[in-house]
This record gives sequence, structure tokens and C-alpha cells, in this order.
Amino acid sequence: MKSLDLNAGLDVLQAFQTQYNSTAFERLNELGLPGKKTEQYRYFDIAAFMQREWTLCQTQRVEVQEGKILEIVDGVVVQAPKGIKVSYSKQRTLNVAHFDPLYYLGHILSDAVIHIEASSDAKVKIVHRFTQSKVLYAYRVMIETAPNISLQIAESFVGCEAKESFVLYGYDLHAARDARVTIIKDETLVEGIYTPVYSHFVELEAQSSANMLSFDYGNADGLQLFGAKLGRESEFNAQHLLYVKGTCKRGTVSKIIHADKNAKSRQRAKNILGDKARGIFDALIKIEPEGGGTKALQNSQAVLLNDGAYMASKPQLEIYIDDVEASHGSTIGELDEQALFYLRSRGITLQEAQKMLILAFANEIIDAIEDEEIRESVHHSFEYVYYGEGHIECIATCHNCSDSIIGAK
Amino acid sequence: MSNMIEIKDLDANIGDKNILKGLNLALEAGKVHVIMGPNGAGKSTLSKAIVGHYDISVNGGEILYKGENIIDEEPEIRALKGIFLSFQNPVEVPGVNNAYFLRTAVNAKRKFEGKEELNAAEFLREAKGLATELGMKPELITRSLNEGFSGGEKKRNETLQMLMLEPDFIILDEIDSGLDIDALRAVSEGINKIKDGKRTFLIITHYSRILDYVEPDFVHVLKDGKIIKTAGPELVAELEEKGYTALGES
Repeated sequence: MKSLDLNAGLDVLQAFQTQYNSTAFERLNELGLPGKKTEQYRYFDIAAFMQREWTLCQTQRVEVQEGKILEIVDGVVVQAPKGIKVSYSKQRTLNVAHFDPLYYLGHILSDAVIHIEASSDAKVKIVHRFTQSKVLYAYRVMIETAPNISLQIAESFVGCEAKESFVLYGYDLHAARDARVTIIKDETLVEGIYTPVYSHFVELEAQSSANMLSFDYGNADGLQLFGAKLGRESEFNAQHLLYVKGTCKRGTVSKIIHADKNAKSRQRAKNILGDKARGIFDALIKIEPEGGGTKALQNSQAVLLNDGAYMASKPQLEIYIDDVEASHGSTIGELDEQALFYLRSRGITLQEAQKMLILAFANEIIDAIEDEEIRESVHHSFEYVYYGEGHIECIATCHNCSDSIIGAK
Repeated sequence: MSNMIEIKDLDANIGDKNILKGLNLALEAGKVHVIMGPNGAGKSTLSKAIVGHYDISVNGGEILYKGENIIDEEPEIRALKGIFLSFQNPVEVPGVNNAYFLRTAVNAKRKFEGKEELNAAEFLREAKGLATELGMKPELITRSLNEGFSGGEKKRNETLQMLMLEPDFIILDEIDSGLDIDALRAVSEGINKIKDGKRTFLIITHYSRILDYVEPDFVHVLKDGKIIKTAGPELVAELEEKGYTALGES
């Protein structure tokens, strides 16, 4: 454990300087530690986490056991599945295009990155566990694929014991030519446990593709920030479902860069906000002069369940070339009154009708998960948060299994 | 015979516009009633007022259903008590599974009536059987509610809901609009299927063509927010020949 007073500024970080993180230092010096006036954090109270002294969690590495999942406990790998190579690497690939100072801080504070190499098709579940309270976690994962493979990563997070901890985690994903990567994050946060600020970078080589799906539920603060750099004819889909209550601030800040020709990106956010929660969607798609033939779509929809709920939605396009198809949009409103009435006119209570419409709104993102097991798991997480228990039957989220239901009884 | 519905001096607005102006109407139980009238007369407003639509503000009057004034009841309570409106333009609800929606509605009504709820298999067997009789494509049962349905498919889906929910009082708001001959016949057969001499029907229509398939007992003419004439089915032919204007002048 090492004490770290972030309030004292960048000087306290000198002790962490190595030959491997000099680039991170340079970029962090340029950007500075975030505070109240930092653009990327304007809707999130990052100052509360920066202006204090932390105990940095530095856990001793252990021998990695073979298991069904990749389990990372307090930043250390304890088990890993067959089929992927997991190691620690002091050497790392930084993407200096990232806009987030905490991306660089995370790199500086993590002595070595957890390096995941996929050389053939694989599906990996990563479980992150946090066990210590009132500490600062800082660790990073580097994911590299071989060309022309398919990789699916499903991330979940467990941290009931990590009360008031602050987690600086993130991955650097490098998809080689023709690789297809899907990363699914499912995280429910409860007030009083850890606060995550995850900062990722996705780099896509020519003709590769990545699907990033994030499912953020609960009533506690959290932010994900990511940058993505798209190579020639690559494709990037980012979809975010946010369902939060209480007084929390939660959401996504991103920058997708079309750096070469004929790349496609699609970013869609659906936000359901109850009580006095604040949702954040601050997203930029930048099309460089080299990005001819780009197609880019960006959309955010928010449903406010209460008068006190608030959505900070800022979809943005920055285009430096004519030969593109790009659109962006944002809607914020309440549940569709006509649809509510239609359901009620059939004897369904207002409360139940509202639940059905919210579930339907969420399903549009959840159903984008192709893997059935993961999709059901994410459904369950949503239902658990919404209903307090997972009680929805399969016909609520029907995937044409009705014939087997009839046959089964 | 007693009245299923008795409307007394109903005065209602949509926004600032006064549409129903002291409307009086009694619908005898177990009969098929037709309301005809020119555009803007207040036909759809009347149907919305009966089911408690949020567009309608009632300024005065009573709607007695089985003798009980329902004017202050929530829409779902009116539905649970047996009032059903087949919408002129059924709303599309993306993401809400048609089967899930309908089973929730059916079980809400069964629970209200003190009956045992249907499990998924029982429900799907019954729904698919009725859907087949109505000529609905089976996949429409498991698709999102009305999403991407054609006009005819939406009306068939309304009819399926009606058959499953077994209401006592059924309002059919322009059920025949946008239907081809086959769809009109299928929907009409659905209506005739649950005509049992106890249920009461209120068919709102501009045209007489659905009345070739569903025989009315009474025809009411609604004009300028009031019922101006009530007669037997022979009135339909008179309206077809002379129009509403002549009737209003008589």
C-alpha cells in the first residue's frame, strides 16, 4: 500500500516514473489532473476524488490458476481460462489520442498491465473483484487479437466490500486486421460502494470490427470514458444502456475518430433516469481529412421517470471532409403517453404499463447482444434492479420460443 | 331489457374545443348498436370519453355502465369491469412483446374476476388458436405489439384482444377502415363469434359495409355533439341515400 495525495498535484507521481510510462507522463503533464473545470468531467464531480489523499492498492501477484473465467481480484489475475494467453507486461501501447487525463494516470499508477492475447476465436468472461474499502485501485488491461479471429469479452464487476473505494481501470484494445471483437460490460452499482472511472481506448486495424456494449445500472456514481480510432474499412458499434436512480451521476464520455477511409461507426445510448439521477452522454465523432467514405451515426434517447431526473446529452460531430454520411440526434422525454394509455385500456395498471414500456426501451439495447447466455444474464441484471428480483418470464423477452413453451407443458 | 350503457347530458372537450354537447344515449344490453355521423361529429370523442382517454376532459354529465357512473374511474378499471375499445389507429409499441402484453392483460382481468391466471402454455395455445381463426400470421403473436403490422393486421390484432379478453361492452371505432374484403370478413366473423345476446356492441362507422356482415339492432346518428336520431337498421339505407345533411334538416 502506498499513500498518494492527488491534491498535491503531479509532483507526487514522480515516484511512479519508469522507462515504460514516460509517454503517459508527457500527456498527463499536457492535460493536467482533472478538476471542476475539466471539459470531459463537467457533468461528473471528479474534483471530490482528486482533492484527497488515497491509499493506492498494490496487491502482490499470485500464481494464476486455470479456471472457467478470467478473474481479477484487486487488480491481480487469480485465474484464467484456457485458449487465451494472460501475462503481465511493463511494456505497453499507449494511445496518445486519448482525451482523458485519468487514462494516463491509470497507466502511470499501474506498474504493469494485464496483457490478454487472443490468437484464435475465443469467448472470455472477466470478473473484476474489489475487496478493500477506501483505497484507490489503478490497473489496466491490454487486449490484443491476432488477425481474422473472433473474440468476445463479457465483463462484470463485484465490489460490495470495497466501500468508498475509487477504481481507475480501463483496457487498451487492439484489433488486428479482419478481427471481430465484442466487449460487453454489465455493472450494477449501489450507493456507498466503489466509484468506477473506466477509461478505454479501442484501436481498429483495417477491416476489423468492434462492438462495445455497456449496461450501467444502479444508484451510485460512475463514468466510462473511451476513445476509438478507426482504421480503413473498419466498423465500430457502441451501445450504452443506462438505468439509474437516486442522486447519482453516471454515463459515458467518448471520442470516436475516423482516421482512414470507409470506416463505419454507430453509437447509440438509451438512458432511463429516475428520482434525481443525472445521466451523461457527452460523445464526439471526429472525421479526419483522411476519413473519406465514412458513415457515422450517433443517437441518444433518454426517458425521465421523475421531475428531478436530468439528462446531460451532448452528441457532437466534428467533420473535416465532405465525402461522409453522418448524423446525430438526441431526445429527452417521458414515457409515450399513447402507448401507456393503450396498455391501460386493456386493464393493465399504470405502474405495470410503465414497467412494460421501460423494459421495452431497455430491450432494444439488450437484444443487441448476440450471445444468448450473456443476453439473458444482462436481462436478469436489469430485471433485478428494476423489480428487485428476476421474475420476468421468457415470453416477455420472446425470442420465438413460444412453440417450445406450448410443447413443454 | 336493461341498459348496458346510459349516457346522460355528456359534455366534453378536447383541449379548448367543446365536442360533445349534452349527449344522451342509452344502449340496450345484448344488442348491436351502430353510431354513424359526419366527420367531426364527435363519434371518436364519445368512444374515448367512455374508456377514459387522457385527451378528453369531461365538463359534465354521467356515463352509467351497468348502472354505475364510471366517469371518475381510471381507464384500466373501466377495462377490467368489461369495457373494450377497438382503436381506430392502434398504437405501435416497439419492444413490448405482443404475447406478453396480451397475457398480462388477460391475467389482470382474470385476477380481477377472481379466476385463476393462465400459464404461458395455456395462454399461447388459446391465443394461437384464435389468431389462426382470424387469419393472423402466427409470428405476429411474438412480435412487438403492432410494430410494423399492416392496417389489416392491426385490426385483426384488436379483434384477437377482444376475443381473449371477453369484454361485456365492446366499442369498435371504425374497425372496417383500411380493411380489404378478406380482412373485413375475418374481423366480422370474430365479432359474430362472441355475439351471445348478452354482450353489447357499439360500432362506430362512416360506411355501411361492415353492416353487411354484422347485423345491427339499432342505429344512432351523432351530429354536432348530440344524438339526433335513433332508429332500426333501416336507417342505414336512408343515410346511404340521403346523407347526414338531409337528416339534420328534417
